[in-house]
Amino acid sequence: MDKIKKFFLPKPIILSNGKVVQPAMSPMVYVIPILLVMFFYSTSLTGFALGTLINRGSRFFDILVKMFPPNFGYFTKVWTPMVVTLVMSIVGTLAGAAFSIPAAYLSSENMVKSPLLKFIVRSIMSVLRTIPLLVLVILFLNMFGAGAFTGMISLGVFTFTIMTKMFYELIDTCDMGPFEAIESSGASRVKAFWTGIMPQLWGQYISILLYNFEMNIRNAAILGYVGAGGIGILLNDRLGWRAYPEVAMILLVLMLSVYLIESLSRYIRKRLL
Amino acid sequence: MIKFEGVVKTYPNGVQALKGVDLSIEQGEFVCIIGLSGAGKSTLLRSINQMHQITGGKLTVDDVDVSTLKGKELRRFRRNIGMVFQSFNLVKRTTVIKNVLAARVADMPLWKSLLGLYAKQDKIIALEALDQVGILEKAYSRADQLSGGQQQRVALARTVAQQPKIILADEPVASLDPVTSQQVMSDFVKINKTLNITVIANMHHVDIALKYANRIIGVKEGKIVFDGPSLKVTNDILKEIYGRELSDDDLMGA
Repeated sequence: MDKIKKFFLPKPIILSNGKVVQPAMSPMVYVIPILLVMFFYSTSLTGFALGTLINRGSRFFDILVKMFPPNFGYFTKVWTPMVVTLVMSIVGTLAGAAFSIPAAYLSSENMVKSPLLKFIVRSIMSVLRTIPLLVLVILFLNMFGAGAFTGMISLGVFTFTIMTKMFYELIDTCDMGPFEAIESSGASRVKAFWTGIMPQLWGQYISILLYNFEMNIRNAAILGYVGAGGIGILLNDRLGWRAYPEVAMILLVLMLSVYLIESLSRYIRKRLL
Repeated sequence: MIKFEGVVKTYPNGVQALKGVDLSIEQGEFVCIIGLSGAGKSTLLRSINQMHQITGGKLTVDDVDVSTLKGKELRRFRRNIGMVFQSFNLVKRTTVIKNVLAARVADMPLWKSLLGLYAKQDKIIALEALDQVGILEKAYSRADQLSGGQQQRVALARTVAQQPKIILADEPVASLDPVTSQQVMSDFVKINKTLNITVIANMHHVDIALKYANRIIGVKEGKIVFDGPSLKVTNDILKEIYGRELSDDDLMGA
């Protein structure tokens, strides 16, 4: 055992005055074997074979090739569903973001004194957060039927659960001084939160809101597949008909929209922080 | 009038911060509390506005037993007591005027405070408070662009805008340089005199306390060991409060 240990230990460093320093063993000694074992286990679990990648890799491009040239004339048909998708994401994100403020207040360590209330709110939020977006859509489809409204509500609830968690972590770590000062002047805790804590956090709040919005646009594009309205319906339909040049046009519009919104959001977030 | 009768404060962890304090302070006095860190100065101050609840004895402010106050009554009571802190406790990312206006939200309906709809009268009160501490021209600057002394003045203006009868100041100049400290203390004196507001300040620097206060209270291990006019504070008394002679390091050169 000692011999094995010695093999992995780095060589001692000898100083000019004769003192010897033994550097600590690198954690890579056990991290690398663990990673290797995990890698081989997961390739067999997921059925990955290098041979497939080499032999059939070109198949990946088969459909992409069929997409050229894109049917640019199809733009007139893509335009309206794309706007629906955008509106669905905007309204859904804003609604979820609005409700996340009171929920984050009730979940935060430093705002709520009652441990029971905090526990109940946090537990409900955790359970809600575990529901995948697609399942949310299917649940709301039963209530509101197919269409953009279902997509909006699903994105709203999804954003609400994520933003609540992100935001209460911000509240937990903010400067409590202004809150204490305003509370000592006789204001209620809610008022002290709103005037003492929120002004510190608006920038970060808008930033996580934009982050969620970016995510929601990409999500919204898929939601049409399960009947939630927007560009996803069109994409599903054209793929079904193998109308690849039209699919290409849909994807182009989608990519361009996502790119523009992400750039804008990145620009705004940079200015905020 | 503030009256302590055998006030005791024991923290949940068992530390006894106040061990039977008797004290009365008249309206309009300027009192400085001195003592070592951990002697109970902060607890004494914060028990007056019930930011810390006392656990024994009786504490009355204008004949109201403060330890019985709860919820709405407690908040209404606190409106008469302003507080200034060592670290200023301003919202640094917002404007000076908004920081001062924060003192007005206690009196506003909730929906108005949520929408930030301050009445014109409130804005005038806030601006006049800023004028009183001499930084009216900074009203629309962001708080984090101000120096430490200016920030403490904003905090003082916020307290004045609350129109309190009493101001509690917890180490108000401990994070300021000597010159700025003197200026801020002069503002306290001015507000004490012109508005007849009682000022009770915890002080770290003995010489500044002696210079500005009319009355000194010495606290040691949760008990009051000296209470009298600042002129009567001798070296022996300071030795008793601090447990040793004061060196130049303990003074600020006031």
